[in-house]
Amino acid sequence: MTMTNPNDDMLDDVFAQARGTSPVPSDALMARVIADADAVQPRAVAAPVARPRLMMRMLDTIGGWPAVSGLAMATVAGIWVGVAPPASVQDVTAAMMGDEVSINLFTTDLILDAGALGDG
Amino acid sequence: MNASPDPFVGAEDAALLVAYANGDGQAARYLTARLLPRVLAQATRMLGNGSDAEDVAQDAMMRLWKVAPDWRQGEAQVSTWLYRVVANLCTDRLRKRRGGVSLDQVAEPADPSPGAVAQMQTQARMMALSDALAQLPERQAQAVSLRHLEGLANPEIAQIMDISVRSVESLTARGKRALADIMAGRKAELGYDDDEPE
Repeated sequence: MTMTNPNDDMLDDVFAQARGTSPVPSDALMARVIADADAVQPRAVAAPVARPRLMMRMLDTIGGWPAVSGLAMATVAGIWVGVAPPASVQDVTAAMMGDEVSINLFTTDLILDAGALGDG
Repeated sequence: MNASPDPFVGAEDAALLVAYANGDGQAARYLTARLLPRVLAQATRMLGNGSDAEDVAQDAMMRLWKVAPDWRQGEAQVSTWLYRVVANLCTDRLRKRRGGVSLDQVAEPADPSPGAVAQMQTQARMMALSDALAQLPERQAQAVSLRHLEGLANPEIAQIMDISVRSVESLTARGKRALADIMAGRKAELGYDDDEPE
């Protein structure tokens, strides 16, 4: 047999009344809570995009540092071929452009010949 | 509050919280509409005082907004988290109140009609219950309120309080017994005769 404690009965009744309490939040409370939410809401901040410097943008246009090193190598090789052309290059040049001819416009023979014409 | 249909219908509370943290302006409104009534109800049942309960409800929701950026979906339920926060905030208030207030705070109704008297008696009982909770050790007060005022099951209370189910059972049993003893002294003034609750 179970003994019923009258104090428990009272307590259970009070509990039941408490569970039946369902207050509706007032408009003012809702507004305060939403205002709090707005006040502390994290804002989405776009990360600033760093603008590349002019030099870097030019480099990017031609293909970056690898392209620059290639250009430098080609330039040095071109100058070297101009200064000291290998024999094979000279032969090719002669074949394409004809034999090399040197003309001296101020040779002493021509001057002398002109004098001879005057005398003659 | 908002008459437009909830665009987050079917979404979990945690998903709305993440949307809020990501800057969604509407998420907080719908989350407030979903959660605030239960938060306010829990605080009102524990504190027996509408004004204190509103303060606690606003404070609990503010803590939710602040934790939103760090919220990890899947780790905890928003409702579980809120039960814990509200219970803690309420026991903080009860501790400060300890020493007794209660019936003196319930104003006499200007029109003592039967309805008004009954409402006043209910209010007096809720205040007496809250004062009695204030006399309990905090963990007992939390366990008893979650079990008997919120009607939660022991495993859920264990999760909220981060203790074992056995501990919940022990806390609620001891807490209820102590509460009954405290309330017994106020039986007559709360309108209960010796035989039967009204």
